[in-house]
Order: sequence, then C-alpha cells, then structure tokens
Amino acid sequence: MATVEISGLRKLYGDVVALSDISISIPSGTFYTLLGPSGCGKTTLLRTIAGFHQQSAGRITIDGSSIEHLPAHRRDVAMVFQDYAVFPHLSVRDNVAFGLKQRRIPAKEITRQVEEVLEVVELGKFVDRMPHELSGGQQQRVGLARAIVVRPKVLLMDEPLSNLDARLRVDLRAELRRIQRDLGITTIYVTHDQEEALAMSDVVCVMEGGIIQQAATPLDVYLRPSNRFVASFVGANNFLQVGNFKGESVLKCCGGSVSQHLPADPAGPVVCALRPEDISVKVGEDPSSLLNTEISIPVQIKEVSFVGREMEIFATTDNGEALKAVGRSDSKVIALPIDSRAWFCVERKNLSFFKDSELGERV
Amino acid sequence: MAFSIPRHRPDFWTWITISIIAVLCILLILPILRVLTLGFVDPDTGSLTLGNFIEVFTRNYYLNGLKNTLFVGVLGTLGACLIGIPLAFFTTRFLIRGKTLISTLAILVLVSPPFISAYAWIMMMGSNGVITNFFGGIGINIPTIYGAHGIILVFSLKFFPFIFLMTQTALNAVNKSFEDAAENLGCSPWQRFVKVTLPLVFPAVSTGAIICFVLSIADFGTPAILGRGFRTLSTIALSAYRSELGGPPTMAVTVSILMMAISMIALVAQRRILANRRYASSLTNLPVAVKLTGWKNAAVHFFSHGIVFLAMLPSAVVVYTSFLKTKGPVFVGGFGLESYERIWRDAPDAIYNSFLFALIAVTFITITSGLISYVIVRRDTKAAAAIDFLMMVPYLVPGVVMAIGFVTVFRNGMPNFFGPAVLLVMIYFIRRLPYGVRSTTSSLRQIKPSLEEAAVNLGATPLGAFVKITVPLIFPGIVVGALMSFITAINELSSTLILYDAGTITMPVKVYVAVLDGEFGLAAALSTILLLSTGACVYAVFRFAENRNSAFI
Repeated sequence: MATVEISGLRKLYGDVVALSDISISIPSGTFYTLLGPSGCGKTTLLRTIAGFHQQSAGRITIDGSSIEHLPAHRRDVAMVFQDYAVFPHLSVRDNVAFGLKQRRIPAKEITRQVEEVLEVVELGKFVDRMPHELSGGQQQRVGLARAIVVRPKVLLMDEPLSNLDARLRVDLRAELRRIQRDLGITTIYVTHDQEEALAMSDVVCVMEGGIIQQAATPLDVYLRPSNRFVASFVGANNFLQVGNFKGESVLKCCGGSVSQHLPADPAGPVVCALRPEDISVKVGEDPSSLLNTEISIPVQIKEVSFVGREMEIFATTDNGEALKAVGRSDSKVIALPIDSRAWFCVERKNLSFFKDSELGERV
Repeated sequence: MAFSIPRHRPDFWTWITISIIAVLCILLILPILRVLTLGFVDPDTGSLTLGNFIEVFTRNYYLNGLKNTLFVGVLGTLGACLIGIPLAFFTTRFLIRGKTLISTLAILVLVSPPFISAYAWIMMMGSNGVITNFFGGIGINIPTIYGAHGIILVFSLKFFPFIFLMTQTALNAVNKSFEDAAENLGCSPWQRFVKVTLPLVFPAVSTGAIICFVLSIADFGTPAILGRGFRTLSTIALSAYRSELGGPPTMAVTVSILMMAISMIALVAQRRILANRRYASSLTNLPVAVKLTGWKNAAVHFFSHGIVFLAMLPSAVVVYTSFLKTKGPVFVGGFGLESYERIWRDAPDAIYNSFLFALIAVTFITITSGLISYVIVRRDTKAAAAIDFLMMVPYLVPGVVMAIGFVTVFRNGMPNFFGPAVLLVMIYFIRRLPYGVRSTTSSLRQIKPSLEEAAVNLGATPLGAFVKITVPLIFPGIVVGALMSFITAINELSSTLILYDAGTITMPVKVYVAVLDGEFGLAAALSTILLLSTGACVYAVFRFAENRNSAFI
C-alpha cells in the first residue's frame, strides 16, 4: 500500500528521447496501466521505476520518499516479467523463497509464507516442481507469487500475459485483478493490449512518443479521448475531413452540417471521429430528413465480411475517404453487392472532433 | 538536443569492466605494443628507423623464411580443405557407419599438439623410420619426411578437423529444398554440389581455412622438428631471439611483426570476401543422408575412415613407442616400461610444472571468463565491445611473438620480479583466455537477462544475482571453457620455449628437447601422458557440452 509520485521524469538515449517530462500521481491501491504501441516508452518507464534504467532527470517517490537514486536491488518494488523469468534451476518453492531469503527472514517463516502465497495463486500442489514441469500460465503464477510474497510497496507488471494463449489470458486477467484487489497493492501494469487495459485498470495511461497522452478511467479514455492518437489507438475509429462552408462546419465528403457547437475557427483543419460500432447501415432513401439528431453519409459499399457474431462493412465516401462500420449481422446488408449505394448513419452526440494531426487535440 | 550527458551510476559491473580492461592492457596490449615499437627502433642508436624491415625484405635468409612460411601455410590449408570438405560432405549426405567415431577421432586430432605428430612421422618416415627402413630393406628408397612436403603433410592431417567440423555444421544447416530445386532445374549431383551446396557452405569453409592458415603460420614445433634447414618465420624468430639475448631482440621482433601482419591480412581478406555473403536459411526441410551401394559405398567408407586413421596414426605410434623396451636412447626390441621409468627419474618436474602452471592459469581463466562473458553479453557499452574485440587478438598473435613481447615488457628493466614460472602462468592465462570466454559467452547468450533482473528486483545485489543465478545456469559452459583452455595450455610449446628456464621446464618442452636429442622413448612416454590428459579432458567436454562438436571449433 503506497502512493507513487513521478515528476519531471526524462530518459534520453543519446539524442533519442525515450521519456519526456513524465509526471504522474498514483493513489494507494490503484491498478494503474501504461498502454501504448511498442516503442511508446511504457516499458522504459516501468523499468526506470524498477531501477533497471537510470533516468536522465526527474524524481520518483514512493510514499513521499524518493527512490530514483537507489540501486535496483534496494527499491522494494517487485516485478512480474513478460517472459516469466522463473529461475530454471530452482524449484517453485525456492523461486518464491528467493526474495524472502534476500530479506533474511527466518526459514520457518519463509516456509509458511511460501505455502500461503502458493495457495493464493492456486499452485499449492506444485511447490516442489521444477519450472520446466510447469505450463506457461503456471510459470507466470510462480512469477506473480514470487513478486507478491515479499509484500512490496509497489507491484510492477511488464506485459505479464502477452506470452500466454488467448483463453488463458482472459482467465488469468480476472485472477490477477482479484488478487490485486484482495491485497490492495498499488500496481503499475504495462500492456499494448487495449482490451486488457480497459478491463483491468482503475486508471489507463495512454503513452506515445515518450509522452503521456491521456491518463483517465477506462470509460473516459474510451468515450472522451483527449486527442486524435488516443481516439485511434483505444478502440477503432474512422476519421473524416471537416470543412467550413458559409461559416458552418460540414463534413467534406457530403457537405452535411455536423455540429453547431464547433468553434468557428479552431486554427487549422479538423477531423471528425466516428466509431465503427456507432454506425448503422441503411439502404434506400436518404434517411437524414427523418431524424435531426443523426447525420447520414452516402457511401459506396466496398466489402462486407461476415465474421460470425458481427459483420464488418468497408465503404468509401463520395470523395474517396474510407469508412468502416461494425454491427449485428444483418442478412440484407450482407447480401449487398459490391459498389451498391448505402447510408452510414451516426447520432450527432457520438461524434468527436480533433485537430488534424497525429497528436491533434480534442476540439 | 542540447548539451546533455546521461549520468551513469558506477556499479559493481563498471568496476569489473575497468579491472578487465586494466588486465588486458598489461597482459595483452602492452606486450604487443612493445613488439610493434621495438621493430621500428635501431638497436644501436635507439632512433626510429625502417631499417629492420629493409633488412628483412632484402636478406635472403629472411625472404626465404617468409616464402617458406607462406608456402607451407597455403599448401597446408589447401590440403586440409581437400581432406576436410569431402569428409564433411560424405558424413552429412551419405549414410556412413561409425560417423560418431569419425568426428570423435577428428576432435582428438584437433586438440593434440602438432609437434607430437611431427615427431611421430619422423619415427615412421624419418631417416631411420620404420617405413623408410622397410622400403630400404626391399631396395626402394622413398623420400623422407623432412622438408616442406613433410610439414605440409603434417599440417594437412593436423588441421583438417577445423574445416571438417565447421563445414559439417554448415552442411547440416543447408535447407534441402535448395538442393532439390537445383536438381529439379536440371543439375547433375556434381553440378549441384559445385553450384549450390559449396557456395552455401563457403562462409564456414573459409572460416575453417583461415583458422588453419593462422595456426600454420604460428606453428613452431612442426617446422622446428621436420624443417632440417627449411626455416619458417616462427623458427627464424626464435633463433633471432636466442642470438640477440642480452641486447634488444630487434630482429626477432621485426620477424614477429611480419607474422602478425600475415595473420591480420588473411583475416581481413576473409572478412571482406564474406561481407556480402550472408545466407539466411530456414530449416524447414532438413538434409537427409542417402545410402550408397556397391563400389561407391566402399570408396566413401574407405576415404572417411582412412583419413581419420591416417590422422590418428601418429598418436598411436607415439603410444606404441612409449611401451618399447629401451636402453638409453636405443630401442632394443620387445616391450618394456623403461621410458616411463626414465620420466620418473629424469622428468618428474616437467609433469609437475605442466599441470601446476596449466591448472593455475585455468583457475584464473575460469573466474575471469565468467566475468568477461557477462560484460560482453550484458553490458551495452563501448568498453564491452572493445573487450569482445580484444578476445580475438590472442588467436591471431603467434606464441613466439607473444612470448617475445612478454620478455620485453616484464623481464628487461624489471629484474627478477617476474620469475619464469609467473611469466608462464601469465602467458598461458592471456593466450588461452579466449577459449574460456568463448564457451561461457555462448552459454550466457542463451540465458534471458530477465532472470538476473528478477533476482536484483527481489533484492539480490548485482554480484549476488551473478553468483546465485547466472553462474549456476552457465555452469556447463564454464566447465567446457575451463577444459578447452586446460587442453590448449598444457600442450603449449612455442611461448614456453622462450620463457622457461631449468626449473620451469614443461612436458611439451621436454618432448621437444628429447626429440632433438634423439631420445624418442622418453619423448614418446611424455607425449603419451600429454595425449592421455588431453583425451580425458575431451571426454569430459563431451559429457558437459550441449553440442559435442561446436565446443571445439
């Protein structure tokens, strides 16, 4: 149980900026996830907190005392590794006991704590096995047990589930979250899997280019992305060019007015983001006259793929912008021939607007 | 980016890196630099000059030495290729009985010292050799083993295992689909071999060849024993050193520079040729060995087994000779243990010294190579890259050259501080260190760095993580490295010849001296002890190494 404060953290490799002015504050007991594509700096940040990288500038404090000058072995932050890092020459018992032995805890106490923690991760029966006798999922449970048994102030997890197969990943995800909640341990979790991040976290911190793009609750990150990068990285999104026609913001593809509330001149081009699952596909007459709360975009269907539970519709607007819609499978839509005309309809309240650049902010 | 230097906290491994570099500077760089500078200094006036090199390149004595060295080096390497490549091809592409025996014997040939086979050939084909006398008895005078052709024969039979083992590994990694495709496109088996298979394994062949060449250039024992007036640069360097005792070893050093230059040029040339030949290949379609029938099968078996038999013959002759009854230096017919009794009387110190020096050196090598490997593999610094590069240097510097460097640094000007025993241990250490480092490095590369990080993360110090996690995991690699450096240290001849004195004689030196004195029985018994120790180590390597063959090349 500890709060983590990071302020002005920077990490340079020569001239390459790996982390740029990272400042975050993590309340005690929070499950805090660093999410981003590979190379965004999330793992560098985690490893800097662990002490495996030396920061170029900035402070890291745990419960108010700074740790950035401490060597890695004196930081009291336990880490769970992507490749498990279970010591192959030690039994499950000795793996879990490793950190306790370093802390010079009496042998009897070690035995008790090891057995206790192995029950928590449901490996009680495997205490005398060697790592090569365990499956990947079991090895990662050993990695987790080994980390939590030392009762660290902060638990660090570096993509702990990414080496496991899909089914196991979902099961272990729920279990990790349960154990974390029971122990109330402050956890910093790194992943590139947005579904994992949204499902597990109290706070999701989206990173790109060594910079924090947005740190908020999963719901906020998804519904109110702070910039265009977050909008495109978390969940899928379509982006359409927005133009100005007679003082009114309109979609360039169809001339349709999109919003009265858009600032008259947001300095530079703007794009409109619409999520595929918010689009409903309609065939026939222009439906826009029916509902004023909805916009409808005329499109030409390019491909409809039926993937079971849902269907994916790929289409282009009249000025050639690509759009994707996802919806409940509908045999009428699936039967549409290629190049036939249809309408993509979205409720106005589901539209978001961003400046048209990679990291363009929300307007 | 503005002016910004990342701060680096010096940790345990920083100090280790600094210590390693310091040791390498003193034991490796300094002796080589002294050799290089002495070659450009006039011994009488002390001024800078190119005169020493002008002398080497104008006097026939040296020029012939250079020509001879290149001659036996190139032809010896060629001979090794002509033996090694077909042997590798036969054993990978055809079903051959006793394949494991062939590669085991090839490895034994590889690790036994060349000077032993040189003198065994004298016993067979010298002026009074068994074979020479047999043919002389029936009135045929066959040429003796002495001279260039004998040296080339010994080199070919001694060094072919490098080519054989490397080419074999490469051939096993050639995707069979390439060969199938060639055949499908209309190549005959021979065309397929020349146009597809051989080019694909060329990088391995050329690496093996460069090792053969460098070892041939550096070898002292073989030309010294078989030369009889045919002098190479290594024997010239040693005589020059002996005739210059008391003064600066200028000519010995100048010849040494020439030897190093030849090795360097050969290596650079090979790297240049290889630079554009990197063949990535997936191993989806493993090569298969076909069963031959009839005379082809017989011929392939005869060649494969015949070659390793011929290459092992010298060792067998040595062991056999050691059990012959002798009276003084004369064989008197029948079997006896006199030769071993004579060792016990005359040369127990040689055995003791050999084991003592080798074991001390190997102890240091074992500890150091663990640390060096860690720095090379785990530390991404310029210093680590420099150490990695320096680990190649001892392979390229002939023993005679290194020993002359040691003398110029540690003996002249530092009277009696470093006794011969200390110098011998130091030179075994630095010359055989790469064997230890190579083996531990390849073990360590297979260990995920996250294991050490996990240990540190759980509270172990960097040293604690190394001792508790890294060392147990790379232990087999450490043992193999120790064994390899022991084998090569105990068989060391050329640098010992320069550094030893009466109290520090070793087995190889004693064998060499005994051969020159015609004491073949004594030489055979000592050589047998050397061969047995070597064989025992090879057996141990087989037990510990993950891959039998790759431990040796």
